[in-house]
Amino acid sequence: MISIRGLSKTYPGGVTALRDVNIDVKEGEFLVILGPSGAGKSTLMRCINRLVEPDEGRVFHNQEEITGHRRKLKEVRRQFGIVFQQFNLVKRLSVLTNVLTGRLAYRSAWRSLFYNFSQADKLIAIQCLARVNMEHKALQRADTLSGGEQQRVAIARALAQQPIVILADEPVASLDPKIAREVLTYLKQVASELGITVLCNLHQVEYTREFAERVVGMSRGTVVFDGPASELTDDMLHRIYYRDPGSGDAEDESR
Amino acid sequence: MTADLLAGSGRRAVTLPAGKKWRFHHILLAAAAVVFLLWCADGVDLRPKEIVRAVPIIGTYFARMWPPRWGFADSVWKPALETVYVAIWGNVLATFIGLPLGVLAARNVVRSSALRNLAKGVLNLFRSISELIWAIFFVAAVGLGPFPGALALGMNYGGILGRLYGEAMENVESGPIEALQATGAGRLQVILFAIFPQVVPQFVTYNLYWFEVAVRSATVLGMVGAGGLGFELITSIRLFEWRETGLILLVILGMVTVIDLASTYLRSRIY
Repeated sequence: MISIRGLSKTYPGGVTALRDVNIDVKEGEFLVILGPSGAGKSTLMRCINRLVEPDEGRVFHNQEEITGHRRKLKEVRRQFGIVFQQFNLVKRLSVLTNVLTGRLAYRSAWRSLFYNFSQADKLIAIQCLARVNMEHKALQRADTLSGGEQQRVAIARALAQQPIVILADEPVASLDPKIAREVLTYLKQVASELGITVLCNLHQVEYTREFAERVVGMSRGTVVFDGPASELTDDMLHRIYYRDPGSGDAEDESR
Repeated sequence: MTADLLAGSGRRAVTLPAGKKWRFHHILLAAAAVVFLLWCADGVDLRPKEIVRAVPIIGTYFARMWPPRWGFADSVWKPALETVYVAIWGNVLATFIGLPLGVLAARNVVRSSALRNLAKGVLNLFRSISELIWAIFFVAAVGLGPFPGALALGMNYGGILGRLYGEAMENVESGPIEALQATGAGRLQVILFAIFPQVVPQFVTYNLYWFEVAVRSATVLGMVGAGGLGFELITSIRLFEWRETGLILLVILGMVTVIDLASTYLRSRIY
C-alpha cells in the first residue's frame, strides 16, 4: 500500500503544483488520477519517485517512508516504473536495448560500460516485450516504431524494472483513440497479471470511466474527488474541470 | 477559379503588421561596423596597390615549380604516409582527451558549475594554443619525429572536439534522460544509454571533419620537426629546389582531396 501524506510543491517560479495532497493506494489497484492540464498530476508522480523533490509531505510504501533518504533514491526509483506521455525511448537504440535499460539499476555502472547485459537480463527483457506483444520487433531501432508500439515498449521497459508500482503520466495523450485504448488495455492487463499497482494520469473522462477501478480527481493541485468511476457525476466533473468562482482558491491566478 | 479572399461576409478589416524600418541606431551600428573594419585594415597594414604587384611575383614561384621533379616522389611517399598517420593518431588522442573533458563540461551531465568551468577552462587552454606551438613543446619533450606531431594535434584538436562534444550533449532530448533516471539508473549509465546514443552520429561527423583539417595541419608540423611532409617542404623551399616543392604541394593536394572526398562520403552515410 502506498500512502501519500500532505504532499505540497511550489516551483521556483511561484507556481503551486500540489497543495496538501493525501492519497492511499491499495496494492494492485488501477488508480486513475483525473484532471485538466496543470492540475498537478505530473508533479504528483514525479514527487513519488522524486524526479521532483516535494517541499512538504511524505510518501510511504508499506509504512516505510520513501521520501527523504538520499541514499535510497536509486532503490526507490527502481521500484517505481514510469511511463511517459512522449514515450521517451532512446530512439537510436534497439527495442530490446531500450527495455534492457530498465535493468540498469540492478547492475553496477562499470558493468554497463560495454553495453552488454547478462543472459538473465535479456530473458527478462524479452519476456516483458512478449507481455505487450512486441517481442517480434526486439531488434528494430526504436525510432522505426509507431507511437502506440513505442508506448508498449515503454511499458515493457517499466516492467523490466520489476517494479511494485507503475506511474503512467498521460500515457495515451499523444495517441489516437483506437491506439490509446489498446495501450491502456495492455497497461491494465499486464499490471493485473503481475499484481503491479498502477497510478495513471489521464485528462480524458471517457477513458477514465472505461479503465479506472478508482478515480482521484485533481484540480489546481488539490484532490477534489476520490471514489469509484461510477460516482463521477457531471456535477463532480464540473468541479474537476471548472473552478467554482465562489471558492477561495484563487491565489495562484497570477499567470 | 480562386476564391476572392477580399470579398464576402466573413471579411474583417485587417492591417499588415508593420515591418522593420531603418532607424537611426541601425545606421549608427552600420557606420560603426565600417569604421571597425577600416581600423582593422590599418592594423594589418593593408596595401591594396601592392597586391597588384604581388600577384606576378607569386606567379613566378609557381612557374618555377613546374614541372615537378617526379623522381623526388621516391623520397616523398614515406613522409606523406607519415603525415596521414600523424593525423589519424592526433585525432584518436584528441578523442580521448576531448571526450572526458567534454562530458565534464556538459550542463546536463555535471551539476557542479565549478567542475564544469574547470573542464571548459582546460579545453580553452588546449584549444587556444595552436598545434604548431604544441609541436614545438613536444619536440623538446619527446624528441623529433611523428610522435610529438600526433601529441600536438591531440592537444589542440582535443580542445576543439571536447567543446563540440560537450555542446552536442547539452542539446540532446531530455526525455530519455529523465526516463533513465526514473528507472534508477546511475549517472554514468544515463550518460552511456541516454546521452551517447543520441550524439554518436554528431561525434562521428565532428571526428571526420576534424580529421580532414588535421591532415592539412599535419603537413606543416614537420617544419618544427614533428614528422610528416612539412620537413621536406620547408627544406626544399630553403634550398630553392622549387620543382621538389612543386611535387610536394601536388602530393598534399592529392592527399587532401582524396581524404576530403572519403570523409564527405562517410559523413553523408551516417544517420
